[in-house]
Amino acid sequence: MSAPSIPNLLSLRGSRGGSRDRGRGGPHRGGFSGPSASHDTTIQGTDTDAAVSRLSAVEVGYLSDPFASYFVTPSPPSFYSGPSPGLPVPRRLPIINRGTYTRTTAIDILVDHFLSSTAPSGQPRQIVSLGAGTDTRCFRLFTSSQRHQNIRYHEIDFPVIITKKATLIGTVPALKSILTAPTTLPSEATNTPSYHSTHTTPNTENSLTLHPLDLRLLPSSPTALPRLSPEYPTLLISECCLCYLPPSNVSDIISAFTTHLPSLGLVIYEPILPGDAFGRMMISNLSARGVAMPTLSVYQTQQDQENRLRGAGFVEGEVRSKTIDQIWDGWVSAREKERVDGLERLDEVEEWKLLAGHYIVVWGWKGTEISLNVATPRDDDEGDDTE
Amino acid sequence: MSDLDRAIAQLRACRPIPENEVRELCHKARELLIEEGNVVTVNAPVTICGDIHGQFHDLMELFRVGGDPPDTNYLFMGDFVDRGFYSLESFLLLLCLKVRYPDRMTLIRGNHESRQITTVYGFYDECLRKYGSANVWRYCCDVFDYLALGAIVLGASNTLSQPEGSQPGGQDVEIEVCNADQQIISRFLRKGSNGGGSAGGSQAGGSPEGTGRGEGSPNGAGEGRPTTNGFGEGDGPPAPSNTGPPGSGASGASGGSLGNPAGAVLCVHGGLSPLIDNVDKIRLLDRKQEVPHEGAMCDLLWSDPDEIDGWGLSPRGAGFLFGADIVKVFNHRNDLSLIARAHQLVMEGFKEMFDASIVTVWSAPNYCYRCGNVAALLELSEDDSGLGVLARSNGDVNRSDGGMGGQGPRGVLMENDLLGYNRAGPARRYRVFQAAPQDSRGMPAKKPVADYFL
Repeated sequence: MSAPSIPNLLSLRGSRGGSRDRGRGGPHRGGFSGPSASHDTTIQGTDTDAAVSRLSAVEVGYLSDPFASYFVTPSPPSFYSGPSPGLPVPRRLPIINRGTYTRTTAIDILVDHFLSSTAPSGQPRQIVSLGAGTDTRCFRLFTSSQRHQNIRYHEIDFPVIITKKATLIGTVPALKSILTAPTTLPSEATNTPSYHSTHTTPNTENSLTLHPLDLRLLPSSPTALPRLSPEYPTLLISECCLCYLPPSNVSDIISAFTTHLPSLGLVIYEPILPGDAFGRMMISNLSARGVAMPTLSVYQTQQDQENRLRGAGFVEGEVRSKTIDQIWDGWVSAREKERVDGLERLDEVEEWKLLAGHYIVVWGWKGTEISLNVATPRDDDEGDDTE
Repeated sequence: MSDLDRAIAQLRACRPIPENEVRELCHKARELLIEEGNVVTVNAPVTICGDIHGQFHDLMELFRVGGDPPDTNYLFMGDFVDRGFYSLESFLLLLCLKVRYPDRMTLIRGNHESRQITTVYGFYDECLRKYGSANVWRYCCDVFDYLALGAIVLGASNTLSQPEGSQPGGQDVEIEVCNADQQIISRFLRKGSNGGGSAGGSQAGGSPEGTGRGEGSPNGAGEGRPTTNGFGEGDGPPAPSNTGPPGSGASGASGGSLGNPAGAVLCVHGGLSPLIDNVDKIRLLDRKQEVPHEGAMCDLLWSDPDEIDGWGLSPRGAGFLFGADIVKVFNHRNDLSLIARAHQLVMEGFKEMFDASIVTVWSAPNYCYRCGNVAALLELSEDDSGLGVLARSNGDVNRSDGGMGGQGPRGVLMENDLLGYNRAGPARRYRVFQAAPQDSRGMPAKKPVADYFL
């Protein structure tokens, strides 16, 4: 579906992009001593992985996302072991497709709860996506049949990533048509492009603001970021992002938000259980790719993850977690399961349990306006959530 | 050196053979396989292996641990292809060995030996990548259609043969677990062999990890306990691993006369089918076709045992789940002492269930280069009493008794039979092994190997 003429993030990226970022990353103040600049490049590459997985799940029919194809080149990355390069559509194995579907569905459901619980106030609601990369969620939200209003969507990522996304938005008609021409907001070091959605009426508009910012340099109060206000309810999302940062950075980032935003929801999706046979192999395989997840050894279990949120000021009863396996079992209705299972024959049931059991969604919320209290058995009526 | 031996040597070096040689090989293999019945009869001793999934270097490791063909008599229970990077080399090598040593190599069909599944799970793409066309994939799929659906192992002993120079295990060892270096990790005694079945289990002579593994209930009354074997220390809670025999324990032929042949062992990739109550019904199927989406042939390749009563729906979307009652009735009706099957990843390499009436054998270590599991193979020793051993025959001819060594079919299941049913199970030696070392793979170390959700 991605025509050759359409530029996309993957073709814009590549080794040159990586080295440019390295050049910029060098003089980072504060003598950051964690992962190297090349690790940054590797981590940016995981976004490529996610984009290919998303498109694969869309092409097979797991997910509906008309924007997924703009972020992937026709040939899969070289490490991909599936269908050979040259095939027009990258395809992941069924187990990965189901995982992509389940994690996307889980976060969609939580975002949906955030938006419905904060809708009655009529105030703006803020969604902040950390390390958003090529994520398409804001495009899906802005064009959703549910006609969401007053969403201030923020994406924070490396400057090199944000620049490419902004270029893409400016070039691809299907993306461009959703948003107005960007206003450039003054920021400390960079220019922050901000867009308004053209899919909403002027006085209830949705907007997207792209923050070109290395998260390790996040200001101590995130409300210093353009258009991010402490007054409005905010949902902070880390979809496999914070796990790549040193634990001390991660705590600082979370506490920056919890301290300055009284009405806050937090959703974290990342791997767990590094210590069992599967987990040890996962760490070894990822490190062979140059990917390190420093927080994984700190928050090893589901309990550790929940405790971390409690430690960050989310109160008992407003902290929840589920593994991807549990979400597939509990949040995907029987009818939807039947549809999804009909797309491909997932032969690898045991492997699915293993893999999906090693990823978790943990979430918490505070402030009176927000509720992320997802009813557990969602058997009958939730067909709408995964539009 | 014959062409076949040359092809074997080339494939053993993990180098594909030319397309015209594949065509010829597949043609020969089909001629051979077409003569085999749906259920092949195999005589012990035999080494039974589970899924391989294109993990060529691990297949070499399997041969190192289990012995080289044709010195070792092998039975592979399917799923040679898909998932791993070397499905082609793995399957063609096994096929070459089958053609070269037809009586020492038995291959039965797995659910991945299918046109439909191989287009999704990698074998088709691998053939395209390595040959530039789908011809080789087509030749291989044509062979898949001729693979047997199951095997019956006859003449397995209920005592283990011991290699020269090893400590005698005694005649009452039912289960022995060894590591890849031939060291015994644990032994489990047959029920009743040591006084009323109450004795502590193993005298784990030579165990590198200490003795006394079998302490506690020697015959693990609890059904379906996960099998653990001392490998992969630190995999989850380690506590139960040393307290009982693998799986649910011995089959418990108390007082079973030692030295007699054990009952037959049925080998099949997946499991049982509600449409098959008798091994002879497998023999009547028309197998020479693509694996159907449903029906008996599909079930044999897709089903799984589970902790349920009777039959259940499979989460795989094909085949069924079946419970202990189904297995026990089937085994009794068919004079089987054990069903060996593959199909399900088991982190410990093997898992016995339902009072050791069925075992899963998994032979792909670190499955998909991602799962971190160990693999196993199952050795059944030859009974040296001279009873129950038939000459191997490839066809169904003269198999009207079901190939059960003349015991004859038993049409009626007597309740007494079932209540007091304790067929002497064969003694089982599991050899557990890990993935071949990375440097033996000839792959650049930096090559990433597995997908994750990133």
